[in-house]
Amino acid sequence: MAAQAFKRSIDSVARIYRFSEDIMSAAEIDESVRFPVHLAMEELFVNLVSYNPGARRDILVEVETVNQGVAVTITDHDAAEFDVTRERPVDTGASLRERKPGGLGLHLVQHMVDTLEYDYRDGRSRIRFSKEPETRDV
Amino acid sequence: MFEIDYAESGEVVCRGRLDAAQSAKAEAFLGRLDASRTLDFEGLEYISSAGLAILLKTQKRLSENGAALKIINVNKHIYDIFRYSGFNAIFEIEPL
Repeated sequence: MAAQAFKRSIDSVARIYRFSEDIMSAAEIDESVRFPVHLAMEELFVNLVSYNPGARRDILVEVETVNQGVAVTITDHDAAEFDVTRERPVDTGASLRERKPGGLGLHLVQHMVDTLEYDYRDGRSRIRFSKEPETRDV
Repeated sequence: MFEIDYAESGEVVCRGRLDAAQSAKAEAFLGRLDASRTLDFEGLEYISSAGLAILLKTQKRLSENGAALKIINVNKHIYDIFRYSGFNAIFEIEPL
């Protein structure tokens, strides 16, 4: 498992991408896993940064590759409670006039990863998710 | 890295990764559009919800004048995101 702490800034998104891409490339993880992992990491990290502007401590990101799958843990020791596993309905069938920009991040995460767990204790948020390769019928 | 610019054909070409840190660049460019345009995503590797919000905002604004964005050459992963977001119903989209 590899771990790195990142500053609470939207600008950290590119560094998180590079950190996780290097690990997944070295492990020859398929693009069908890498893409949703990058997306989930960005959405969850940005969520922690955006909705807790008074926090100061860095956010820890851990990436582990297992066979051809990936598990990620994101730990924020300076967090407000926000359960990312709770369903937040988005009316994706609404007309253009009715649609409002925003609110898609967690909706996408919940659809694109295989497991998503959230734990909050004494000001510490820990989010863990995993993604396995798609199985194809032969 | 994210780049957005006009091609000689008049299409808007997007390249790289449209993540939260790059969305302001996309918003500044797309915010100046005042007529229907085609966005060529052949070189776009990645988009997150921050980029989707800019696309939706632009589409809503253009639609007030009867104009629209069309998005072409969309890779499989981005197309999946469009489907999960319901964007295939509010944009004309052509996959790669």
